[in-house]
Amino acid sequence: MALMLLALFIFGITYLLIITEWINKMIAAMMGGFAIILTGILTQDIAFRAIDWNVIFFLIGMMLVISVMRQTGVFMYLAIKIAKIAKGRPLPIMVLMYLLTTFISAFMGSVTTIMILVPIVLLVASELKITPVPFITTMIIASNAGGAATMIGDPPNILIGSATDYNFLDFIYNLTPPVLLITITSVGLIWLLYRGKMRVSNENRARLMGYNDKNLIKNKTLLKISLVVLGLMLTAFMLQGVIKIETATIAMTAGLFLLIVSDRHKVEQTLAHDIDWATIFFFMGLFMIVESLVETGFINHIASGVMSLTHGEPKTTSMAILWLSGIFSAVIDNVPFVAAMIPVLERLGVLINNPDAMHPIWWSMALGACLGGNGTMIGASANIVAIGIANRNGFRISFKEYTKIGALFALNAIVVSTLYILIRYY
Amino acid sequence: MYLSDLLNAKAILHIAEPLSKEQVYRMLVEKICRHCLNVPICDDALLNKILERDQVSSTAYPTGISIPHIRMENFDDTVVGMAFLEHPLDYEDTQVHWVCLVITDKSSSRLYLNLVAGLLKLSQNTPLLEAMIKTDGPGVVHLLQDLKIHVTKDITVADLMVSSPTTISPGTHLKELGDIICTNSISAVPVTDENGIYLGEVNILGLLKVGVPDYLMMLDDVSFLRSYEPLEKLFEQEDILTVGDIMDSDTTSLKPETSIPEAVFAMIQQRRRFYSVVDEQGKLVGVVTAMDIYRKIIKA
Repeated sequence: MALMLLALFIFGITYLLIITEWINKMIAAMMGGFAIILTGILTQDIAFRAIDWNVIFFLIGMMLVISVMRQTGVFMYLAIKIAKIAKGRPLPIMVLMYLLTTFISAFMGSVTTIMILVPIVLLVASELKITPVPFITTMIIASNAGGAATMIGDPPNILIGSATDYNFLDFIYNLTPPVLLITITSVGLIWLLYRGKMRVSNENRARLMGYNDKNLIKNKTLLKISLVVLGLMLTAFMLQGVIKIETATIAMTAGLFLLIVSDRHKVEQTLAHDIDWATIFFFMGLFMIVESLVETGFINHIASGVMSLTHGEPKTTSMAILWLSGIFSAVIDNVPFVAAMIPVLERLGVLINNPDAMHPIWWSMALGACLGGNGTMIGASANIVAIGIANRNGFRISFKEYTKIGALFALNAIVVSTLYILIRYY
Repeated sequence: MYLSDLLNAKAILHIAEPLSKEQVYRMLVEKICRHCLNVPICDDALLNKILERDQVSSTAYPTGISIPHIRMENFDDTVVGMAFLEHPLDYEDTQVHWVCLVITDKSSSRLYLNLVAGLLKLSQNTPLLEAMIKTDGPGVVHLLQDLKIHVTKDITVADLMVSSPTTISPGTHLKELGDIICTNSISAVPVTDENGIYLGEVNILGLLKVGVPDYLMMLDDVSFLRSYEPLEKLFEQEDILTVGDIMDSDTTSLKPETSIPEAVFAMIQQRRRFYSVVDEQGKLVGVVTAMDIYRKIIKA
């Protein structure tokens, strides 16, 4: 009991530091992780074994793939092409950027997508002489929604995919349909909110149309190779049930192969800068801290608590998990939330003792955590990154201003998810 | 080894009449060649070499000393000739009263650097200079013997820097900064307050950056942009923004006593060719560039 309280105390302090970002997130997680060992709650051996290396190497592999894909210039090309296809008209640009962001995030993760696309949208808006804020806000929303659609999109899904037996196809089969529905309703919302609000002059539109997109694809051969590798990687993910190779190995194989065939002068740059080591170590620390709650029995208490509240009734449990995840993810980073919730659901699975009843509960958490992240500007990493970029360029997006839009879209997404879960599974 | 040991009293001249640079060099060469028998190249050949070297870069230092210098193959010695001039020579705006001709072996660069350091230090000592001007050749050697100047002392940034450089205050508009950069052909200017306290640095890239917003720098590629309005309209900002808005106050500076290897190391490691030199009180005392170091030390 004393150990449990101590573990809970370290967990609380660490999460407080992660949420408030008083100190760097990675340092907070690492300090928490090793405090668990120092205080004797876990032995170093058990703490290290709690690190999900499948997640760690999957992340590294994907970062390598993305880094090489980025070198080809394909993302820049797509974004500039979209502005031209939309003929420089703001609302079509906004809708197309929303769709592009959703699509890229589903495969590359929300943060990377935001880091590539937001600067382009700032440029486009400055050329059109309109405010970029609505574009950035809707792209944040798109990135979190897109990431919810696949196993390799948002970090919560990566965590869930690794912790459970669900494979890439299971995620597509269960999560892509609601994300498609949400995309349709969100585009409808964009149309309602911004129709007729943005005016641009013909001259400014003409500037945009004058962009020369011919040279944006830097290396056609590398692009072809990366698209083939990406295709093979996705195929391997889909065939995981047959080929029996774990996600981390597939991602690392693809990443290392691309690294070898890419520009050798950029290898150092890729390893030093494009792999986000801070995120990698943040995850490691998180796994260690969460393990301390599992080992000391706290997670069992929580799971039993949920059981006694919902009486193990799957429908009620799903709804509770969906809305709880949605609300929590709106106010705290969804990664530490899901990391702590995974063992709770695992324990719940033992208590409910019916694998089929557990499926919708897992999908509810995935949807709630990814989509709830849209609720406020601190709900997910992509939000913080995008708003940071906007701020640095003189566009201050206030908490209130973001939440007005973000909460509306998050609510739309959670309501659609609720209907989806109720109709599809019950 | 002392500086005085490298001198030959007969190669120390005191020249009262106004002469040209070439005439002064010729007199020094004659003296050196007559009294130091082992110099392999002499007379016009040596003189031409010195003049050629002078063409490459100035051998004058702000303290009014000029140290022309020749390195020879298989010389295996170092000789110094001196001329004290009543009428200064004009070295591209530097008034030189004291010419020290150094002839040394190709391999002995360290001794040369120390020699230069010793001479530079002496050139700052006005009472000594006056005493040397008043006496004769053996008297100069005697004076220097008493001072026991080691030629092992290391040359520092203070010996090479441009003292009292162009500076700018944080309140200055960018337009004026642009003018200063253009007229002086410099790419960086130290920023100081009214008391000469070093605040930071502005450079040409910082000025151009005014027309390039942060988001543009985040793009992987800007080849699709044929023209870009903010960059073209940079000059409109020049009357609004001040040096304080764009200056880099995080830059590292060098101290006057920083050694040359340390300065070169800093320049290469931080990829900067320009450093402000700041004393312990935080006052700007000069600037030093990679070109200064290359010209005055390596190429010398």
